[in-house]
Amino acid sequence: MSTATLTQAYNYKVVRQFVVATIVWGVVGMAMGVWIASQLVWPEMNLDLPWTTFGRLRPLHTSLVIFGFAGSAQFAASYYAVQRTCQVRLYSDTLAAFTFWGWQSVIVVMLITLPLGYTTTKEYAEIEFSGAVWMTVVWVAYAIVFFTTVVQRKTKHIYVGNWFFGAFIVVIAMLHVVNHLSIPVGWFKSYPVYSGATDAMVQWWYGHNAVGFFLTTGFLGMMYYFVPKQVGRPVYSYRLSIVHFWALITLYIWAGPHHLHYTALPDWAQSLGMAMSLILLAPSWGGMINGMMTLSGAWHKLRTDPILRFLVLSLAFYGMSTFEGPMMAIKTVNALSHYTDWTIGHVHAGALGWVAMITFGAIYHMVPKVFGREQMFSTPLINAHFWLATIGTVLYIASMWVNGITQGLMWRAVNDDGTLTYSFVEALQASHPGYVVRFVGGLFFLSGMLLMAYNVWRTVRVSDVALAERDAQIA
Amino acid sequence: MFEILLNVMAVLGLWLGVEYCLKRETTQSLEDASLIPFADDPEVARRVELATGKTVKAVAPEEAKPGWGNLEI
Repeated sequence: MSTATLTQAYNYKVVRQFVVATIVWGVVGMAMGVWIASQLVWPEMNLDLPWTTFGRLRPLHTSLVIFGFAGSAQFAASYYAVQRTCQVRLYSDTLAAFTFWGWQSVIVVMLITLPLGYTTTKEYAEIEFSGAVWMTVVWVAYAIVFFTTVVQRKTKHIYVGNWFFGAFIVVIAMLHVVNHLSIPVGWFKSYPVYSGATDAMVQWWYGHNAVGFFLTTGFLGMMYYFVPKQVGRPVYSYRLSIVHFWALITLYIWAGPHHLHYTALPDWAQSLGMAMSLILLAPSWGGMINGMMTLSGAWHKLRTDPILRFLVLSLAFYGMSTFEGPMMAIKTVNALSHYTDWTIGHVHAGALGWVAMITFGAIYHMVPKVFGREQMFSTPLINAHFWLATIGTVLYIASMWVNGITQGLMWRAVNDDGTLTYSFVEALQASHPGYVVRFVGGLFFLSGMLLMAYNVWRTVRVSDVALAERDAQIA
Repeated sequence: MFEILLNVMAVLGLWLGVEYCLKRETTQSLEDASLIPFADDPEVARRVELATGKTVKAVAPEEAKPGWGNLEI
């Protein structure tokens, strides 16, 4: 450890690294998404190569955006916020650096192995055995860095944002280890210890909580730090934030079975998943309202501050998708929506509208501070990014709603004699216009991401590390 | 009926649990906690004080001490 770094109050180096990684994986992961969207419009876009077929690139897209983009963003935000709210430097610069390089190597493993066809076939948990073990090692190091920093804090109270980050770290470790329990027969081939409906249940306990904890709880931690900071007002109700925390982590873990409605899973388990999903609406909206109301008396800032606009819009999409989710978990609604594009639309309302938007807001907030600049290179570019991302998201989810309901209705339509009215191919043909609109929406969103990358690059290129270090010193 | 009772008990349990966690907290301590994001940033803290009328106990963070892992050993 150099003397130079010791004189700083905070470790901004690892935050800078994760910020850059967020941008890089965001561009690559979203470009991969646009590519596979184009394959559903023009099937020849799979290039007739095994490595570039939809079946191999789709898990790569989800892995890159979830673990590469969203994961790196949460490392950056949690490391930034925990230092500033605990008023202490991160525990161990060495271990923090290990988490950065370790996590990037996990993403590279995904980038190489998934197109080659090495996969567990479990959704969002496709990385094969040795990669999954390495991921666990890096995650444990992350937990050590984060929690030791909290233990060493100078403040009396642990700020609520850190509770959310902490729950995210602990629960993801548990989910990842339990779902990946398997018997290896090679470095990149293993068989799960579970079978049949049990395997499905464990997978969707993991799968739903990958959304609940990887894509929600950590980002709520981000929300509880960056929204008040950007608005310049404390969170609307601190008491509500604590109720929000306990209610969310108590309920989310039970909701997984709604992914397995009308399957071999016992009916009571399906009903339990449905009931818990419906109850989950309360804490989700409690958190959303708490974030929104933080703007009380400061709504006028939305006119001039595009970063705040990103944060507030993300909360609006969070509210919308956490309303839609419980509705889709109702068994009768699910009978129509399941296996259709409605599900894809719902996921992207959360992924683009909530996860990506709040990440953009947090990154635009952090970049000037950790790179020693007064502000981002261009505020109009942030504004352009905001509109591209918003239009892209709306096009995406609206087209998938239309497609999903069309598909659901066509699949269930029967003639008087009991035969199906439409063949599967007819439903697919009816979906084609929606796939075109979805592709255009993805292009809008990716264009915004590229603008962000340019804006960050122009800001970073002229960064003043000495100023950033002074900022870290006096904060 | 039994299911409804179970549901009510679950909600009651959650409510009692949260109230138990909060029993030592006062309105003032919760307000102080909500101001933590501004507490290491005297300049921003002044703006928050002006906007909200609340007092933010803002101090610049201490320098890290030498040693592996920055532990004060």
